[in-house]
Amino acid sequence: MFKLILKMAWKNSFLRLSRTLLVIIMIAVSMSMMLGIQGLYDGMAENMIDKSKRSDSGDISIFAKDYRIERDIKNIIKDASSIKKKIEILDGVEAVVLRLSADGLISTARKSSFSIIRGIELKDEEKFGRFSEFLKGGELNLSKRSAIIGIELAKTLKLRLGSKVIFSTQDSSGEINSIALRVRGIVQTTNISLDKNTIYVDKQILHKFLSVDETYATQISILSKNKELLSKLKQEYPSLDIKSFFELQPMMKMMQDMMIIFNSITFFIVMLVVFIGILGVMYVSILDRVREFGIMLGIGMEYKYIRTQIILESVIVSFIGYLLGAILGVAVLLYLNQYGLNLSSFADALESWGMETVLYAAIKVSYFSSTFFAIITAAILSVWIPLRKIKKLNPVEVIKAEK
Amino acid sequence: MIQLKNVNKYFYKDEPRELHTLKDINLTIKDGEFSLFSGPSGCGKTTLLNAIGALDTVDSGEIYLNNKEITTLSENERTQLRLQEIGFVFQAYNLIPVLSVEENIGFIMRLQGSSESEIKSRVFEIANLLEIDTKLQSLPSTLSGGQQQRVAVARAVASKPKIILADEPTANLDSKNSQKLIDMMRELNEKEGVSILFASHDELIAKNVKRVIKMEDGALL
Repeated sequence: MFKLILKMAWKNSFLRLSRTLLVIIMIAVSMSMMLGIQGLYDGMAENMIDKSKRSDSGDISIFAKDYRIERDIKNIIKDASSIKKKIEILDGVEAVVLRLSADGLISTARKSSFSIIRGIELKDEEKFGRFSEFLKGGELNLSKRSAIIGIELAKTLKLRLGSKVIFSTQDSSGEINSIALRVRGIVQTTNISLDKNTIYVDKQILHKFLSVDETYATQISILSKNKELLSKLKQEYPSLDIKSFFELQPMMKMMQDMMIIFNSITFFIVMLVVFIGILGVMYVSILDRVREFGIMLGIGMEYKYIRTQIILESVIVSFIGYLLGAILGVAVLLYLNQYGLNLSSFADALESWGMETVLYAAIKVSYFSSTFFAIITAAILSVWIPLRKIKKLNPVEVIKAEK
Repeated sequence: MIQLKNVNKYFYKDEPRELHTLKDINLTIKDGEFSLFSGPSGCGKTTLLNAIGALDTVDSGEIYLNNKEITTLSENERTQLRLQEIGFVFQAYNLIPVLSVEENIGFIMRLQGSSESEIKSRVFEIANLLEIDTKLQSLPSTLSGGQQQRVAVARAVASKPKIILADEPTANLDSKNSQKLIDMMRELNEKEGVSILFASHDELIAKNVKRVIKMEDGALL
């Protein structure tokens, strides 16, 4: 019997071909657009989080106890090199870097600005966060007294490649020292605080400049997908300040939550449109065939079979719409993932928020599974009202009406 | 056997426009009858047919179908009764447009849960009897009115119901097709032993049935 009901549902689904095609196209277009928007939202958030991790804190960062409250060179991790070696061999750890930073004043002949000097090892940073990908101009050269500067800081100080700057700060003994540096490269990490304030120099040069032992560091950053690692490190090093990425970057957590809310709102609106679309078409389709259903009831067909047939009709149309939407959606997402959405006309605004001017979409299987369940649910719910009408149908009235 | 005892039916009960459509109907129809409810339009013959077929309820009285009281049955029980024991032929054929003639004829048998082989052989047997065996794969919309009505009769009879209720089955047919349909239904009545009750004011049916039950103004004459 089910085979026959399925056959009736299939044939009835295409009885009014133009109407059915309209619903299928509506579902497919709405779904593909929604997938594109979801992908862009997620891609934007993931990109910002990824760059922020790669350029700075990683998944976990370790500081000396009071360093984040008082960014003084005295608050330093003294056995950083040995800690790094111990962490590197832990399960799930992908990369570890040591950094030495100090706040100070960067000056040119005409301008000066607050700045943070960050001592890095290019080889480690490359392994940790593909540092070379941040390079916007010049070269990755920290030899001798070369420096790489954040793009916003370069703009503030009107620095170009080859420009000379003086960086002044207090060394470990409290003396004010200055170092002359030549800008060899400009980087854009889209991490606003880094791009606005940071000048990168060779870590060893900075150690000497600040008179700090080479085994010391102000920050140890770790890339790891191991969720247990944070608590493990906290147990292991109770005297250090160990924070996860989102603890260090609450704005990123907020942004990620906002994206989930935006995605949910978009999802809800699109699914509401799909629901209303299916409801409208199914309602008209069922009203067109009230007599047919009345006669079926009259000759002894149980209501449950009619309900199954109507639900199947709705599900068939919606499923075809979903399949088409999934194909279109994959195409849209692949394009946006590969080529991105170029918003360079809004470059200033986007960059001030730490966003890329070209947004690349993320692709997740969950987009398709959640949409599948939502569309099938919408298909089933949309026939609820028309079904109530059929349930109340009096076959005698229908037979009378035909005369 | 069908027995009706003091059956009354009202439309718009307790309203100013109340209509007493069946008035104290007492009637016995024996197994294998080939009978007609006859009378002018609005006399209550369709209402009586619907009441016997458990399509409609009555306000008072009792209706027995093979000694089973049907007026007290629930909606689901009435649906089952219609499915298992009664065949219907309507004026407007009412075939399922998306199903082939073969599927339409076997539709009720499928609802009853008959096996596919049983359905196939029965459908072919009835289609042969009603001379529509060459049209089994066609869709109803490709058939003439006479052929569609024969498919409707085949659907009603295929499941071997105890009784077939035919409401104005010839209303949309010309006299030639009407005569053919009546002849075929009589043949079914004789061969299959199924009781057939018509509700019609068609003189042609009146001439061919074995018993005419006349009605006027909701009452039997």
